[in-house]
Amino acid sequence: MNYSKRHFCGQLTADHVARTVQLCGWVDAYRDHGGLLFIHLRDRSGIVQIVFTPETTPAAICRESAMLRAEYCIAVSGEVKNRLAGTENPHIETGRLEVVVHDMEILAEAEPLPFAISDKSMVAGAETTGKEAVSEELRLQYRYLDIRRPAMHHNLLLRHRIFQCVRRFLDERGFVEVETPVLTMSTPEGARDYLVPSRVHQGSFYALPQSPQLFKQLLMIGGVERYFQMARCFRDEDLRPNRQPEFTQLDLEASFIDEEFLYKMIEELTVKMFTLGGITLPRPFPRMTYAEAMDATGSDRPDLRFGLRFVDVTDLFVNTDYAIFRQILQRGGCIKGINIKGQSDKLSKNVLQNEYAKEIAPSFGAKGMTWMRAENDRLESNIVQYFSEAELAGLKKRFAVADGDVLIMVADPSYAIVTSALGQLRLHLAHRLGLIPANSFHPVWVTEFPLFEATEEGGVTSSHHPFTAPDRTDFDPKNIEELLALRSRAYDLVVNGEELGGGSIRINNRDLQRKIFAALGLTEEETKEKFGFFLRAFDFGAPPHGGLALGMDRTVSMILQTPSIREVIAFPKNRSAACPLTGAPSKVKREQLAELGLLNLGGKAILPGSAAKENLLDRVSWVSRIGVNAEERPLLEDILRQSRELAAAVETLAVDEEPIRSPAPAAHRLRPGTEAQRSPFAASGQLFKNAPAVKGDYFKVATILE
Amino acid sequence: MESIFCYRNPDATTSAGSGPLRGTKVALQPTFSVAGWPTEAGSQALDGFHALEDAALVERLRAAGADLVGFTRVSEFGFGLMGNAAGKALQQEQAAAELVLDLSGEARLAAARAGSCGFKPSYGLIPRLGIVGLMPSLESCGILARKVKTIGAVLAAIAGPDERDFSLPAEPLPDLAIGGIDPRQTSIGVIAEVLQELPSDMLANLTKELAGLKKMGFSVRELSCPDFAQNRLVHRIVGSVEASSCAGRYDSVRYGKRAPGAKNWNEMYLQSRGAAFGTLLKSYLIQGAFFQFERYPVYEKACRLRGRFLKELEQLSAQADFLLLPTLAADAAGEPATLGEWYAQAAHTLCANVSGRPALHLPPIFAGQGGGFQLTGPRRGDGRLLALGDFLLNQRQGGE
Repeated sequence: MNYSKRHFCGQLTADHVARTVQLCGWVDAYRDHGGLLFIHLRDRSGIVQIVFTPETTPAAICRESAMLRAEYCIAVSGEVKNRLAGTENPHIETGRLEVVVHDMEILAEAEPLPFAISDKSMVAGAETTGKEAVSEELRLQYRYLDIRRPAMHHNLLLRHRIFQCVRRFLDERGFVEVETPVLTMSTPEGARDYLVPSRVHQGSFYALPQSPQLFKQLLMIGGVERYFQMARCFRDEDLRPNRQPEFTQLDLEASFIDEEFLYKMIEELTVKMFTLGGITLPRPFPRMTYAEAMDATGSDRPDLRFGLRFVDVTDLFVNTDYAIFRQILQRGGCIKGINIKGQSDKLSKNVLQNEYAKEIAPSFGAKGMTWMRAENDRLESNIVQYFSEAELAGLKKRFAVADGDVLIMVADPSYAIVTSALGQLRLHLAHRLGLIPANSFHPVWVTEFPLFEATEEGGVTSSHHPFTAPDRTDFDPKNIEELLALRSRAYDLVVNGEELGGGSIRINNRDLQRKIFAALGLTEEETKEKFGFFLRAFDFGAPPHGGLALGMDRTVSMILQTPSIREVIAFPKNRSAACPLTGAPSKVKREQLAELGLLNLGGKAILPGSAAKENLLDRVSWVSRIGVNAEERPLLEDILRQSRELAAAVETLAVDEEPIRSPAPAAHRLRPGTEAQRSPFAASGQLFKNAPAVKGDYFKVATILE
Repeated sequence: MESIFCYRNPDATTSAGSGPLRGTKVALQPTFSVAGWPTEAGSQALDGFHALEDAALVERLRAAGADLVGFTRVSEFGFGLMGNAAGKALQQEQAAAELVLDLSGEARLAAARAGSCGFKPSYGLIPRLGIVGLMPSLESCGILARKVKTIGAVLAAIAGPDERDFSLPAEPLPDLAIGGIDPRQTSIGVIAEVLQELPSDMLANLTKELAGLKKMGFSVRELSCPDFAQNRLVHRIVGSVEASSCAGRYDSVRYGKRAPGAKNWNEMYLQSRGAAFGTLLKSYLIQGAFFQFERYPVYEKACRLRGRFLKELEQLSAQADFLLLPTLAADAAGEPATLGEWYAQAAHTLCANVSGRPALHLPPIFAGQGGGFQLTGPRRGDGRLLALGDFLLNQRQGGE
């Protein structure tokens, strides 16, 4: 068949009626009316119904059509006709038309499918089909079939549109797309690198980029002035539900600009991207400093779709008789709270005390949680009697309390614990009480992050990376207090509590950069060893510059409102960083490792993916998950020697009796009843009393993977 | 001297039942779950574990009116007799009966040390629900007492099918009544290959016992079973594989002690399990893991040897009603510390665990000295075996 005259299924219109068209695609669904066969033919553009009828279709083709099954790939030609009145299908775009087949060729057959692809009913008024939940693992294993589904098609198409929009937008503003290497040096982004062994330089490794940070800054020094890239980045991080080991970010950098330039441009671009998904973002995006965000929401990614802002009430209790608050304030602590307006119906004393105060708040790190309910112009609580009238009146005024309100408060000597716990409670309550409006989008710039964080060793470390410019340059690199008070010229773009991207104005002054390294406690040599090539570039006239990276998978996923970022990635990894389709990551042959010089690298340490642990005791200890210490080794080595002797002794014996596993076979019994039952010990919580670690209603274990 | 008990029941006489064991003081090992008691089975892997409910056999003891005195000190999971106080509560008259898990002969060997009677019931007679087991196809709840009649009473109380036990064979409860014995109608076999292994003093004692039996009118027959010693090989391999498999549950998740600082759950298992098991048990588990994961066909062949051993015992049973075996092995001196030493000490007791047959240790009857001997009979013939034991014990004690 010649495809040059091909029409697209979804694009047939009334104008095509009475014309002969050629169509290609897949059998989406079929309905056999004894001799009369209706098929939904699907290609990328959509679906059209084709009809095999003995009246017009040649007999041979009719016979062949009986073989068609779901997802057969076929080509047909036939005449476009209006459907008979009353047989139109409103579920599909071309529902008023059908194509009566004259000729057909089966291009490829399909085996029975692992899951249904069709989601369009063939009959008007019928429920949409293809709604049954398919496990994501199965979808990923047969991703090519999954992609045939129109929903996935739509996601990939929108992703493409958004990417095109970004490229056009930036091109119009003089940005140049430059590719940076994927086989590169480890960069200082803080996550774990994916390493690629070098065959030529045995024992040396490339790192896959966590971001093109150093290269984009070098491009600025190279005078590119405005650079962008749809960069693939790699981070070997702990597994989290909505994270991929490789991801795409819009990476951009510009010279001779300031924060305002970036805010304006990125706002404009973000608005454009969201428009493609039919979402209108309000402009200008509000800004919050890091301190304001923490103070009001307990998060540097504030979700502003709902209120529940924190109110500080520390000052109301400076002279309190309530011992717990008094002790906390004596230790320099603070007290913050939230007024949950008009929700006392949903937050009973029982829920507040037994769920929130006893279980949920402690799981968020708070040592306790105070709650009060406003009823009949009074605050009610299990501890209200410990507070003075003045304190209660103060609370009512500060929180603007009305009947039906619920106050929750967290007090702790640590500001970090108060904000973190209350921040998580804020989100928990918003979800539980349904306070988050659907289809609302609240972008915000978070600015003025701390430049440094304190380390456990009493020093400081960069909050972002050491090339971020500080808000002032006249600091003393030895004064830890002063360092911790420094703000950075970094900014994050947050939408609905999710960080879509972030960036900063960079340091372009050599002396300032040295001061930062000194503050980090790095010596000249260490600096040179770590960043030598990069710092050398700053000796040759580096322009002031800054930039930003925007997580594109996350952005597209938000615009399309998909439940996970995997829905907007053609071939994602699953939650355990594996690809069910290809089986990656996979073991490799010892020869391959040998060629790369990876055998016996690092002495006795066991290599990932290497075929076997060399030592029998190590191997047995590992498979049985019984740790063996150095002291025990000689004895256990001897046990294994005895075991091998036993094995040898048994192997010499001839025996042909059937193996028996017990002196009398166990009876096959069925537990009475057909329903799974929960043990009463689980229900009463007694089951957990023997457990070394429990979280809520679960046994707590170490993380599955590091 | 270390105490006999690791836990004493604060209110030992609360089971005011009126059953057949009323007032009988029973000590047991912490390998049998007693609700609220620290059922730690002598292992760090169950450190701090308090059973949530009674084992089936404990329920039955209570129902029969027994007074549960406490938990006696036990070797790790009851395996071996290192640091095991089994038999001492009887010796010091703190209990009339003791329940001792018999995995490789522990109950019978402890009885031999204590000079009492020790009984390992048939496989499948006592429900396993609530037993902290290690070798499900080999072990049985052993009973120690001064008198065989007491053993019989305890057995009658705890034996029998249990709906909740999914490991029991579907067999009705056999007749456990201790009836009379007519020596003239009863044949007792000894295995020539076993006798040949014995040093002269032990052989002399055993010969005296056999002479005494003959004098009573029993027919005593010397039988041959060339492969008899293979049961030891079978036990050591099968037991270790079952132990390795059973001990999988000690993962520091639902109970036990969690080693601190593990970065992921593989490390958590390695470290917690590495710290949980004592040297002897760890040796056994490592050996079991070796057969389980490295040399599985050897385990399977051991199961075939077990099948053959059972057949051979059937053939011996056709020639004699009971078999008489020594209890103690030649080199039973001293506290065994290693796997090899323990298996050497248990050389003659393993066969009852491998075969699932009942075995009764009796103190010397006619020899007047020595460590006594074992009698064993067909599986589920526990009642007759106890009847024989009772008959012989009465000869010794002059019809006491």
